[in-house]
Amino acid sequence: MKNESTFIDVPADSSSAMKGKAPLIGVAKDHTASGSGGYNRGLSVFDFLLRLAAIVAASVAAGTMFTSDETLPFFTQFLQFQAGYDDLPTFQFFVIAMSLVSGYIVLSLPISVVAIVRPLAAAPRLLLLVLDTAVMGLTMAAASSAAAISYVAHNGNQNTNWLPICQQFGDFCQKTSGAVVSSFVAVVFFMILVVLSGVALKRH
Amino acid sequence: MAKESTTIDVGEPSTVTKSSSHVVVDEKQKKGIVAAAAGGGYKRGLAIFDFLLRLAAIGITIGASSVMFTAEETLPFFTQFLQFQAGYDDFPTFQFFVISIAIVASYLVLSLPFSIVTIVRPLAVAPRLILLISDTMVLTLTTAAAAAAAAIVYLAHNGNSNTNWLPICQQFGDFCQATSTAVVAASISVVFFILLIVISAVALKRH
Repeated sequence: MKNESTFIDVPADSSSAMKGKAPLIGVAKDHTASGSGGYNRGLSVFDFLLRLAAIVAASVAAGTMFTSDETLPFFTQFLQFQAGYDDLPTFQFFVIAMSLVSGYIVLSLPISVVAIVRPLAAAPRLLLLVLDTAVMGLTMAAASSAAAISYVAHNGNQNTNWLPICQQFGDFCQKTSGAVVSSFVAVVFFMILVVLSGVALKRH
Repeated sequence: MAKESTTIDVGEPSTVTKSSSHVVVDEKQKKGIVAAAAGGGYKRGLAIFDFLLRLAAIGITIGASSVMFTAEETLPFFTQFLQFQAGYDDFPTFQFFVISIAIVASYLVLSLPFSIVTIVRPLAVAPRLILLISDTMVLTLTTAAAAAAAAIVYLAHNGNSNTNWLPICQQFGDFCQATSTAVVAASISVVFFILLIVISAVALKRH
């Protein structure tokens, strides 16, 4: 085929206008990066605040259950009229688990601060998400098993002849129910934290 | 400034030049496709693992729910006044267990199409985020059911001397065995859910 020559004759000194254009593109790029970083930073700050609230919820749950002792004002020689969390293994598990959860959240605060300072880093967020999911499972297990025992304590079970002890130990039941409710609030906080981490991971 | 003239004199493009430029574009596209496939391949592998985990979780949750549902036992002796039957509906916690694990199983079946979408489109973010959020909610429901039933099963096995709750498992051995199996199966499904959430999170993370 006919091969005609191709001349491209570019001027030696490019105009200043062309020179000046290039850095602007770089500036535009920086702007978008800090834009999504600002959004992620907002999510991280919200995450940090939620963690503080979750610490309160978890430690209130553990503390209320721990101090839920009640001694009835009358007594006989043979029967026990005291009720405490250590009379029920499920409540013991509850106290230990909620204490562990509160300790975990306190330890996860620095990682959350790192996520605020470096909003575009993926590693702290992924770590927080994995740990939060596992701890959320633990919290939910403690909360719902204690709820099941509280339900039996409130209502009893006719088929198995388990008597509802709450009719005698009113204060004990009230405190344990309050502790269970507080731990469910902590579970809700954890759910929001996991979803936050997932959304923040998505945006880079 | 002295502007020198620019002469661009492109000749009639020969077929050779045409095909070479086409190759350049093709290479660039190829590079782009390879890059996408590399990230997409990794995520596609995760999506396939996610799908298989979901199938396994469906099997386990259906198994847990049905084992608890059919966990009845009637003792061979009887009197006029006492009940010697045990079934899941004697315990509100077990009723909650059967219903919620059944809900979890149907959720898993409904989430299979989303999982298939993430296999077919490994770089899409929306289906993964939806799966992550709904998996988190269903994880809490499953954990609640499993843990509550475990507490009752523990009580049935050991009783509680302080509250005078007698361990019924000493009479109803088969019933206790069936309920314990169901609780163990539900706990395994909890582990599966945690894995599913972690997989979705890792796949969401952009490289």
